[in-house]
Amino acid sequence: MNTSYLPSDYLPVLIQLLLALGFIVTTMIVTHSVGPKRKSQKKDDPFECGIPVQGDARTPISIKYFLIAILFVLFDVEVIFLYPWAVNFKGLGLTGFIEMILFMGLLLAGFYYVIRKGVLKWE
Amino acid sequence: MFPIVLLSVFGILLLFLGFLKSRAILLPAALLFLLVSLAVNFIDWNKTYLYFNGMLLSDNLSMVFTAIVLGSAFMVVALSGSFMEDESAQPAEYYGILLFSLVGALMMIGFENLIMLFVGVEILSVAMYVLTGSDKRNLRSNEAALKYFLMGAFTTGIMLFGMALLYGATGSFTLGGIRAYAVNPQVGLSLLFYVGLLMLLIGLLFKVSAAPFHFWTPDVYDGAPTLFTAFMSTVVKTAGFAALFRLLSISFSGVYTFWWTILAIITTLTLVAGNITAVYQNSFKRMMAYSSISHAGYLLIGLAALGQQTKQAIVFYSLAYSVATIAAFGVLLLVARQRNAETITSGGSSSESFDAFNGLARQNPLLGFAMAVSMLSLAGIPLTAGFWGKFYMFSTAVERGQIWLLVVAVLMSAVGIYYYFRVIIAMYFREGATAPIRVAPFYRYVLVVATLLTIGLGIAPGLLEGLF
Amino acid sequence: MSEFLNQFKQLTATGYLFWVLAILALLSAVWVVTARNPIHSVLALIATFFCLSGHYILLNAQFLAAVNIIVYAGAIMVLFLFTIMFLNLRREDEESKTNLTKMAAVVVGGLLMVMLITIFRAKSAQVPTFNPVSFDSRTGLVENLGSILYSDYILPFELASVLFLVAMVGAVMLGKREAGDRHF
Repeated sequence: MNTSYLPSDYLPVLIQLLLALGFIVTTMIVTHSVGPKRKSQKKDDPFECGIPVQGDARTPISIKYFLIAILFVLFDVEVIFLYPWAVNFKGLGLTGFIEMILFMGLLLAGFYYVIRKGVLKWE
Repeated sequence: MFPIVLLSVFGILLLFLGFLKSRAILLPAALLFLLVSLAVNFIDWNKTYLYFNGMLLSDNLSMVFTAIVLGSAFMVVALSGSFMEDESAQPAEYYGILLFSLVGALMMIGFENLIMLFVGVEILSVAMYVLTGSDKRNLRSNEAALKYFLMGAFTTGIMLFGMALLYGATGSFTLGGIRAYAVNPQVGLSLLFYVGLLMLLIGLLFKVSAAPFHFWTPDVYDGAPTLFTAFMSTVVKTAGFAALFRLLSISFSGVYTFWWTILAIITTLTLVAGNITAVYQNSFKRMMAYSSISHAGYLLIGLAALGQQTKQAIVFYSLAYSVATIAAFGVLLLVARQRNAETITSGGSSSESFDAFNGLARQNPLLGFAMAVSMLSLAGIPLTAGFWGKFYMFSTAVERGQIWLLVVAVLMSAVGIYYYFRVIIAMYFREGATAPIRVAPFYRYVLVVATLLTIGLGIAPGLLEGLF
Repeated sequence: MSEFLNQFKQLTATGYLFWVLAILALLSAVWVVTARNPIHSVLALIATFFCLSGHYILLNAQFLAAVNIIVYAGAIMVLFLFTIMFLNLRREDEESKTNLTKMAAVVVGGLLMVMLITIFRAKSAQVPTFNPVSFDSRTGLVENLGSILYSDYILPFELASVLFLVAMVGAVMLGKREAGDRHF
């Protein structure tokens, strides 16, 4: 068993990362250079067929999306706390379990509040 | 410790009570919750406990600060009856966030570990950003919230950086650990320690709006709904000074010679900037914002001249200042609402300017008197609590022999008298068509209690001495 | 110069990795500030976060590295993109950035940088280097972090949930559309 835990242990991860990135980059370059290219006004339209495009994509969006994104971030951070807890689950025993129940309980109360407020309702 | 637990639960309860059809239960429930928290605060009286592996300290001093903070919150909430009439207001959320923010304030009062201080500051600040912007349709409220949030987030970053540097230098987050390092360094104090201390101080001084970190204060206090301005200028300030006092008196008393000059310069700047700028204000609310800056300056005197009397001076001053400020904002709330109602029919000057108070005392002797007493107290006139607050503060400076600080403070108090008396003159000696303002009975009690407390502490300042 | 080159030759693989990451992080951070298109700024910020995560791994703090990518590069950047989409990007708003403000920002930023560099290079700011005997390379791993977080630091952890609650309620209070409000 390896007990030293040095940064060099990450070499396999790094190689994997480079391979994944390399594959994507190569595919993009190859598809761009190999495939045939036909350019015309119709071909360059975002939607080649169907109704003509009106305006552009830069219109203000509803605040509801943002609210959901914020709630997502909050619960995302909450979930982060579960990782170190789960790793230590056995060692912490019942106390740890109660601690986490308390933490989750407070946040679930917040979740209930959010649902009752109808924030997640999408008319 | 007990108030922290209770307030967290009560906050959630209040949020859920908001789902009921009737709003009438919210205000009494919030007041009851605050009273219960205030009562359980004293369970540990005369005992000293360290809770949760030395995270939170509960001793008489922290309980007294807790009582001041909870009492101020109680009075502010008691003045909030107008939420019930406003259709667009969300009282359940306001009270819930207020109670949660008190959790943060109590953490700042009793922290024993810098992590606790940080979480406390964050809870209090986030709650304040939200409440500042709670008047959603008011552009100035939105602007204030955005300014406060951006600057506050930036300073929180500086504060956190300071804590990290302190940890790097001392290897400890606890107050005791940092003290041990500062008092007895093995190879001399690291430069990182000094930089960390400075950055931590900058973060906290921003929160209590000391110059030169005060530029957000007038806009935020002016833009926020008046009730939350009252909360900010009392609870946040008291909690901030409790935290500063703990930090400086416990962890950093060993390096007093390093920070006292810096703090003395900041004190002078704060006193001058707050008092001189307040003179030029036409809006009462803005004047109160600068006045709160200047009072931060008076409170800082006690820290710059840290000594035996500092503890008592800070407690007394924060109490006197909080009570007077809440009474002043309470009267302003009523007057501004009356003027707004009049402006709709006739059209006149701004509802929060000094002119709004013209002739107030004739038709509304109670409101006039409450306002006059709180202005006298803020100005530091004898027979009010404010006088003794300033007296204790100035005597700490004398004790340390910092006479020039004392001279500046006395001069600036003289300047302060000018702008506080403008209100009194407007109320008693100017003509103004003020119809009698209807004051709800409970509202009246709060104003009467605040006035009596100010006068009572002014006549017998020794009442509090035996407490801690 | 040659001294520097010699030092460079003696670096271990980790040392080279540090330099590459540091330079990448600085470049992408500068890109965040200088990019004219805010979307590019966000992308550069994501690149910066990835470089910082690399630094965390070099410091043996894997959990922090993972969290940095999940929360910052993942969730918070989504918020940034949303905020940018709220803004009206078609109008070129340049009045707020006069040359004077730009220069002031550069001067202040530069002063801060010089100050911090001097401080960290100062003799009296040196923290003791690592001691091979007592060194535990597993200090920053999830397991140790969890056991400390859920025993010594349990109170701040529980109270952090109050912070989340405040943020949640505040976001709902400020962001929820009332009956009669506009959609956007």
